[in-house]
Amino acid sequence: MAELTLVEAVRTALSKALEEDPAVLVLGEDVGIDGGVFRATDGLWQHFGSARVRDTPLSEGAIAGISVGLAAQGMKPVAEIQFQGFIHATLDQMANHAARLRNRTRGRLTCPMVLRAPYGGGVHAPEHHSESIEAIFAHIPGLRVVIPSSPARAYGLLLSAIRDPDPVLFFEPKRLYRAFKEDVTLDGTGLPLDKAFILREGRDVSVISWGAVTRDCLEAADVMAEEGVDAEVIDVATLKPYDAATLLASVRKTGRCVIVHEAPRTAGFGAEIAARVAEEALEALVAPLRRVTPPDIVPPLPRQEQLYLPSKDDICTALREVMTWR
Amino acid sequence: MAVIRFDLPDLGEGLTEAEIVEWHVSPGDRVVSGQPLVSVETDKAVVEIPSPYSGTVKALNAEPGQQIAVGAPLVDLETDQRADQGQIVGDLGGSEAEAPEKAEGKAEEHPALPVTGPVRAVPAARALAREKGIDLETVAGTGPDGTITRADVEALAGAENRAGWEPFSASRKAMARNMAEAGAQVVPATVQDLADVSSWIDGQADVLVRLVRAMGAAASAEPALNAWFDPGAMSRMTHEMVNLGIAVDTQTGLYVPVLQDVGSLGPEQVRAELDRLIAAARTQRLGRQDQLGATVSLSDFGPLGGTFASLVVRPPQVAILGAGRVSERVAWGKNGAEQRRYLPLSLTFDHRAVTGGEAARFLNAVLHDLEQPG
Amino acid sequence: MTDMAKDRMQAAARAAEFTISFTRYLSADGTLAGAAPDFASDRTELVRLYDGMLRTRAFDTEAIALQRTGRLGTYASSLGQEAVAIGIASAMRADDVLVPSFREHGAQIWRGVRMEELLLYWGGDERGSDFSGPREDFPVCVPVGTQYCHGVGIGLAFSLRQEDRCAVVVGGDGSTSRGDFHEAMNMAGVWKVPAVFVVNNNQWAISVPRAAQTAAKTLAQKAIGAGIPGEQVDGCDVIAVRDAVERALQRGRSGEGATLIECLTYRLSDHTTSDDATRYREDAEVSSHWPEEPIARLRTHLTAAHGWSRDEEEALRKEISEAVRGASESYLQIAPQPATAIFDYTYAELPADLKAARQVLADR
Repeated sequence: MAELTLVEAVRTALSKALEEDPAVLVLGEDVGIDGGVFRATDGLWQHFGSARVRDTPLSEGAIAGISVGLAAQGMKPVAEIQFQGFIHATLDQMANHAARLRNRTRGRLTCPMVLRAPYGGGVHAPEHHSESIEAIFAHIPGLRVVIPSSPARAYGLLLSAIRDPDPVLFFEPKRLYRAFKEDVTLDGTGLPLDKAFILREGRDVSVISWGAVTRDCLEAADVMAEEGVDAEVIDVATLKPYDAATLLASVRKTGRCVIVHEAPRTAGFGAEIAARVAEEALEALVAPLRRVTPPDIVPPLPRQEQLYLPSKDDICTALREVMTWR
Repeated sequence: MAVIRFDLPDLGEGLTEAEIVEWHVSPGDRVVSGQPLVSVETDKAVVEIPSPYSGTVKALNAEPGQQIAVGAPLVDLETDQRADQGQIVGDLGGSEAEAPEKAEGKAEEHPALPVTGPVRAVPAARALAREKGIDLETVAGTGPDGTITRADVEALAGAENRAGWEPFSASRKAMARNMAEAGAQVVPATVQDLADVSSWIDGQADVLVRLVRAMGAAASAEPALNAWFDPGAMSRMTHEMVNLGIAVDTQTGLYVPVLQDVGSLGPEQVRAELDRLIAAARTQRLGRQDQLGATVSLSDFGPLGGTFASLVVRPPQVAILGAGRVSERVAWGKNGAEQRRYLPLSLTFDHRAVTGGEAARFLNAVLHDLEQPG
Repeated sequence: MTDMAKDRMQAAARAAEFTISFTRYLSADGTLAGAAPDFASDRTELVRLYDGMLRTRAFDTEAIALQRTGRLGTYASSLGQEAVAIGIASAMRADDVLVPSFREHGAQIWRGVRMEELLLYWGGDERGSDFSGPREDFPVCVPVGTQYCHGVGIGLAFSLRQEDRCAVVVGGDGSTSRGDFHEAMNMAGVWKVPAVFVVNNNQWAISVPRAAQTAAKTLAQKAIGAGIPGEQVDGCDVIAVRDAVERALQRGRSGEGATLIECLTYRLSDHTTSDDATRYREDAEVSSHWPEEPIARLRTHLTAAHGWSRDEEEALRKEISEAVRGASESYLQIAPQPATAIFDYTYAELPADLKAARQVLADR
């Protein structure tokens, strides 16, 4: 047990994985001696050596591509893409190869790789450093997309992701990297990759979210509690494939659904959840669905970033609105 | 909610126009049904015109001092609820509405939506209504744009959960509503008599067909009872055709299908149509068309039991005839005591629109036809 | 000229020297150069190579025929380029790994992929990539140029496990314009990955001729940018191809890293059966390259130098013909996959939603 920040939990999980399985490799830009630009791999190179903790030349596409080859050979590469803004270059390899290798060889070749990337905004970063394109990856069959929202879940989900026989995209909300510490049990137990986590139980409205903004949802729930509203807050965590059963059960219980995400609105992953609720829990709905998201604009640079990200107040507004429906 | 244009109604007595004297309401005022809206002056008198619906005054369409014709726009009202559709007793679905006139373009906030359209309700409200057998058309919506919320349905359904209370079915609810409405308006009076049917009554006699014929004959003799009364306009419309509402008792409730144009049907046709309507009523397959437009009604309750009765007149009709159980009695004839068979008749009429004399003449005509051997 | 100017010129001159060698042992007229490697004098070995190329071409012909009669999907012929595939495959060990593009049927067959499997793949059935023979070879790669990184990853796995196996990646001239090609070679160079990159330069990338693909004088020289050796060989000379690949494999196995080999060939067929090359190139040009084709020159040499007889030729062709026809018939009779197979390999274990969807299909 240790009190860890999210990035420390990631590092601890990586260390554990490297220790327990000789097939595990960490690779990426600056992950070796520098320990990663967010220190997510800090100390690993010193301990495990450059064969297993490997600095790569600058080439996101190739990082993903060689991971496919490594994984097909039974290694377990855990590749880091330095920022989500650079991950687009990996789409070719992830969509065309990683996601399909098992399927197109009828299971003869498989691709147990993990692609990690810091994700999301809110850290006053330069351009292209605040992206959230989880919906694009979640759209691709054969991939898993996992987004932890706490140190304990980062530890457990990353271990499971590394152990999983299929390709996993693991997006770490950088806004949460050092935001808070939490007790994490370090016994190597993985968390399930097909379960949503109910962070706060409630009766009146289901708040469905993932990533850094789950914290804002919890804060909003506290504010609403003082107004007599009992909100249930759920962290989807694994977006693909997602745990529809938990989400639907919650909406059926509360009759109100507010989806919150940091990615832009149109065709964001919230649209999938809204569609699913409409398909399978429509008759439970007492109020219309609501999504709290940024608009369909390019994420503003730091000076106006706060206008972009969904805030606790935005979430409260949506909650109050759906609560007017009885 | 619908915005309805209320035109200057027919004030009766052949008047074609009136002058606005004084408005009693302003735009934005809430009014209840029957509340005086405006005083108008005709050739004969100053008349107050009451509001036909409860709702909110949206616009006044004439100025004081202005002469307007009957049928010209008078006032626009936004109603709280759907306009009363004039349901017949026991009608499960409600008859075709005398549809409120379509609102003017300005009333439509959402150009794409029709003024009268499908009921708006949240999914949970629909599900609950379906489960409880509540017709959403009977629920007032308190959500935005009149959308029915779950709470609105729960309020109606709530009564059902009290111990010992059996909630009414939709048809019983309709009966309760319709009877209350009739009771609030009609001024009933009943005249009764016995028809001597000894000349034709036997085990095989088709009493109901004879009653139908007799109603047709009586309506010809005294049309005043085959009429509709409009208390608002203080006018009456007598009908050439007799569309006879026939009360039918079924397991699910009381229905009153209508035998159209009784005068044009021969006895076999009457019997065939009666059979069809009764069967449909008993299997809950009575269409809306079959329940429309009764001009006068008949209740042959004799087979169920009872002799005389005071029945309920359903506006806009003004009369209903009830026939009780045939009884054998002793009568004094020319040759002393005789055994006669009698069909007891009760004619209830709306004394606002029908005089005692008209009622008596009608009943006599019924008697006369019934006492024919064939 | 000042001393400083001379010094500068000298420095500049020193920084810029590279050469790309070109090798051919077996000429189009069938004559074998004296410097040819030892195996080139071994009749048995040459017959094996000849068999490989003939078999490749027979399979190719049959595949085209199946496509033209509606029993195979779009197919990429390797006509005229058989020496590349056979040269590569004959140099590799069974435990090396082949990462092909889509024109290496000859290599796949040599390495144990059954002809029926290839026909299944091109016929539109995923089972065709579930090779019964070389279990670790990669399947055909359709997104051009994306396969080079796979080879690097595979080679890296070998070196991490300290195995002396090699990855051999094959791509066409068009693929060398892709970023992935350069990124892969670059990584292979910096990590000394045991990989061999073979470019089958058949002069055409669909309708784009080699001259319009890059300004570089050779494709082999693109290796220079990655810091690995690059060489050119006559791609219609199976001996040169095999020799070059053998040497490159040796480098990889001994820890010296990766090599790029450019094989010069000519695409005698259309790009695929969906292509009509007459739209962009002259028949006369194509005809002019036929005399260079690899099979004729080896046969000439076998006949002249090793007494290859007509009877042997006929016997070989007959056996190959029967094998190809047998495979074709076999392929045509293979029962289709069950409908639920479309779900079964999406993940190692199907998630709840896919399980449900699969069941719906199964119940239909």
